[in-house]
Amino acid sequence: MMENTVFVRNYAGAEELYPVNEREVWRYSGFRGTQDQVDGELRKVFVQVQEELKDAFSYKVCFRRMPVAWEEGIAKLPFGSDSRDLRRCLEGSSEIVIFAATVGLAVDRYIAKYQKFQPTKALLMQAYGAERVERLCELFCGEIRREAAEEGLKCTPRYSPGFGDLPLTVQRDVFRLLECDRKIGISLNESLLMTPSKSVTAVFGLGKDVKRGQL
Amino acid sequence: MNVLEYLRDNLVYLDGGMGTLLQKRGLLPGELPERWNVSHPEVIVEIQKAYFDAGSNIVCTNTFGANSLKFERDELETLIRAAVENARRAKEASAGCQEKFIALDIGPMGKLLKPYGDFDFEDAVKVYAETVRIGASCGVDLIFIETMNDSYDTKAALLAAKENCDLPVFVSNAYGEDGKLMTGADPAAMTAMLEGMHADAIGANCSLGPKQLSAVVEEYLKYASVPVLLKPNAGLPRSEDGRTVYDVLPEEFSEDMEEYIRRGVRIAGGCCGTTPEYVAALTERTRGLQPREVTGKNFTVISSYTHAVTFQDSPVLIGERINPTGKKRFKEALRNRDIGYILGEGLTQQEKGAHVLDVNVGLPEIDEAEMLETVCSELQAIIDLPLQIDTTNVNAMERALRRYNGKAMINSVNGKEEVMREIFPLVQKYGGLVVCLTLDEEGIPDSAERRVEIARKIIRTAAEYGIEKKDLIFDTLAMTVSADNRAALATLQALRAIRHDLGCHTSLGVSNVSFGLPSREIITASFFTLALENGLSAAIMNPNSAEMMKSYYAFRALHGLDENCADYIENIERYAAVSGMAVQPGGGFGQSGTGGSQTGVGAGQPAGGPGQTGSGPGQTAAQSGLQRAIVKGLREQAAELTAQLLETEEPLDIVNTQIIPALDVVGQGFEKKTMYLPQLLMSAEASQCAFEQIKKRMSRDSSEQVSRGKFVIATVQGDIHDIGKNIVKLILENYGFDVCDLGRDVPPEKVVEAVTEQRAPLVGLSALMTTTVPAMETTIRLLKEKAPWAKTVVGGAVLTQEYADKIGADYYAKDAMATVRYAMRVTGGEEET
Repeated sequence: MMENTVFVRNYAGAEELYPVNEREVWRYSGFRGTQDQVDGELRKVFVQVQEELKDAFSYKVCFRRMPVAWEEGIAKLPFGSDSRDLRRCLEGSSEIVIFAATVGLAVDRYIAKYQKFQPTKALLMQAYGAERVERLCELFCGEIRREAAEEGLKCTPRYSPGFGDLPLTVQRDVFRLLECDRKIGISLNESLLMTPSKSVTAVFGLGKDVKRGQL
Repeated sequence: MNVLEYLRDNLVYLDGGMGTLLQKRGLLPGELPERWNVSHPEVIVEIQKAYFDAGSNIVCTNTFGANSLKFERDELETLIRAAVENARRAKEASAGCQEKFIALDIGPMGKLLKPYGDFDFEDAVKVYAETVRIGASCGVDLIFIETMNDSYDTKAALLAAKENCDLPVFVSNAYGEDGKLMTGADPAAMTAMLEGMHADAIGANCSLGPKQLSAVVEEYLKYASVPVLLKPNAGLPRSEDGRTVYDVLPEEFSEDMEEYIRRGVRIAGGCCGTTPEYVAALTERTRGLQPREVTGKNFTVISSYTHAVTFQDSPVLIGERINPTGKKRFKEALRNRDIGYILGEGLTQQEKGAHVLDVNVGLPEIDEAEMLETVCSELQAIIDLPLQIDTTNVNAMERALRRYNGKAMINSVNGKEEVMREIFPLVQKYGGLVVCLTLDEEGIPDSAERRVEIARKIIRTAAEYGIEKKDLIFDTLAMTVSADNRAALATLQALRAIRHDLGCHTSLGVSNVSFGLPSREIITASFFTLALENGLSAAIMNPNSAEMMKSYYAFRALHGLDENCADYIENIERYAAVSGMAVQPGGGFGQSGTGGSQTGVGAGQPAGGPGQTGSGPGQTAAQSGLQRAIVKGLREQAAELTAQLLETEEPLDIVNTQIIPALDVVGQGFEKKTMYLPQLLMSAEASQCAFEQIKKRMSRDSSEQVSRGKFVIATVQGDIHDIGKNIVKLILENYGFDVCDLGRDVPPEKVVEAVTEQRAPLVGLSALMTTTVPAMETTIRLLKEKAPWAKTVVGGAVLTQEYADKIGADYYAKDAMATVRYAMRVTGGEEET
């Protein structure tokens, strides 16, 4: 029988597993200098940000694993798009994993609060949240990669709606397939934006002989 | 028999999972299960019959996602009618001899409401109302609202049910492992809100297995005065040999449920992963149990969208600062719609330790109802304290209560017949804790006895509306002691009688008592302590007053309310150090300001260290210090130095000779990529703090504010990202523009309206997504037509010069500084380089 369930994984305590990558936070914040150019005042704000957001993140992933059939080099995917870039990414896979990851709504509340009064803090919170959800994706993909390895399968890199020629409208399909709102509380608005804003959706392939491997 | 009558003496069994069973029957991933009511009715009937056979009293229709967002009106009606018909056939076909009921199942519509999402609360009410109307017309026995993971969405659904049918309504929420809803509410907060709105049974379902819901169930049983329901998952799903299995089996499930029923759960069933087998195990094991009686809980409680505040022995502090009375700066903020200033007052009070915020925005020349609704919504977007809605305007009160996310405090009613007849129906409908002033048609009685008498009358009248004593809180009115030296005594006597003889909670606006006396805070704080000793439960007060906060912590320590005096020790120092009166609301949140907007956060620029301003000859230490503080982004220092300079210099001189030059250093650094976005923002914030000092002075001197010109700014319709816009706004304000911020997700008509009204020469539009650029284009087209004088500046992550040209914008700004430069060109301001 076909695998037909959306699974949810919680990653409480992911901070410890994946400590913050400061360089990435600064990059997301728009800072393009070197680390030692971050002056004291700014660093102080980031320390405050980390302290305030200590318990704010709620790391969750929901996902579904589905078989994929290839017909004459074209993957039959459950999306309303025939993206060449995605096809290339998935080349050689026999299954796909579709997932959505979020660090929760609390950080959006902090951002909204500080945007009005301390926009620097809000900006760094944005950047920190973005960094956190990236770490979460790595954590989850790493887990699946290890589980797949036990079955003798390899994973392709992940690919998100909005990348390359994969249109953002595919988000609707992803949300339909994963029931993200019900499973982990992500919702999609009319403009295809996700709330909580620090959320990611993506797909990757699994196969014995995938062309491109996950990094 | 009606389901509520049956519930009075019996345990009620619900059904189990539907989705998992439909998947086994071939429902495809992403396929809408509601369509199976028509395409596979026999499957639905078979499953529902199996639940009735297993002993379910209530079976839910297969309508979890049946709403007008997912289906066209005609199909929606067809599906709901078929769903009810299927359930009815199942009920008739089942040989089970228990009482059987059919519930109209309503799940979340899947849209997040504003302020986090883009869906309006009233639109949500309409979506649910449509489902309720169709379902009720098909003759269901009750409404079952379930799996709700947001308190606001839950309120919309319950309100829709209450406004569109007379059926019993059960409400069930989905909690995470942290014991909270996705948007933060805990069971105590949900209980407060849902009971206030008269849900007939409340509880939890989905997300977790029975064991993990233990703490959530405990909370419900502690706070709820209505029957508690529970419908957990069969544990967590996992994949085994390509099949999905749940880790709690029927035996264990029914054991766990038995325990909960023994503790007081009255309505039990299962959610994802459970099957008729689970329900059969549950009913067989627990059928003989004596149901625990549902008892009324005597908690006086209010809530926000995250937590409840309970009025018990520890005093509740209600911040009084959001109120224009006697505050020039606040009135000015209301007239200019400077919501940021008002929010600042809220945040400062929260920081200072307020538990609840009073909200009063009444001013004769503004639309109070609209303003109150807006301010309450904006406060709830960033502050999680419950609000006390304070107005004499009934329409304003209703609008604010309807939109309020939680159970609010209502300020106020009094013994006047007319006032009670206006306000109590609102309390009955929306819930709330009502402040009752002990005055009536004849005014404020001098004697304590008469005030207590009025309290009794209010209690009697409230009872006619089904409002219990625990939802009334009495204010015995603190009068000015300098005018009548027995005034405080009467207030305290009445307070004691109401608290101890009538058993009601009490609240006082304490500040009045000291009016007309020197060193007012000493009298106010002493009176506060005396009132607490006489049974005061809550005070409407100024949390910025160190004397009040000292009394508060001391009282708690002396009354055994502060274990090991820990709170006292932790907090007293910051108040004790202040010898004088009010603590300055410094630190934390300065007022004013507002975020900015931007074009492309993350598209920051690179560069080296922050620029330096040399202190030229003839500059004082404060002058060069201020420039440095702004360049370095030192907020507090910038405010202090500005205050110092204001003693000797004209406000506008400080702006022109200190603040603007400092900003230019940073602006140029940013353009030359020697400073980056975070640093630009830091100095903008510091200069904002400096400006606030200047504004304060100018508003005191009533001198005119000099503006470089109006600038209307908005994130276009459909787009809810506004950090970019907020950054641009902030920088523009720093450069002296009078910015009118329309917010995010702004319809074209609203932009045009604001531009026309203010004859603004400049409009800034921001869009982050390719999907919202068309909205930008529409807005520009409409502007060209209706407000041809206005120049449009566009920005945002996806925009390019080419795009901007294509949609007819006058200017494409790659970042905040570019916007400023352009705006100065348009308004004829010189362009510093």
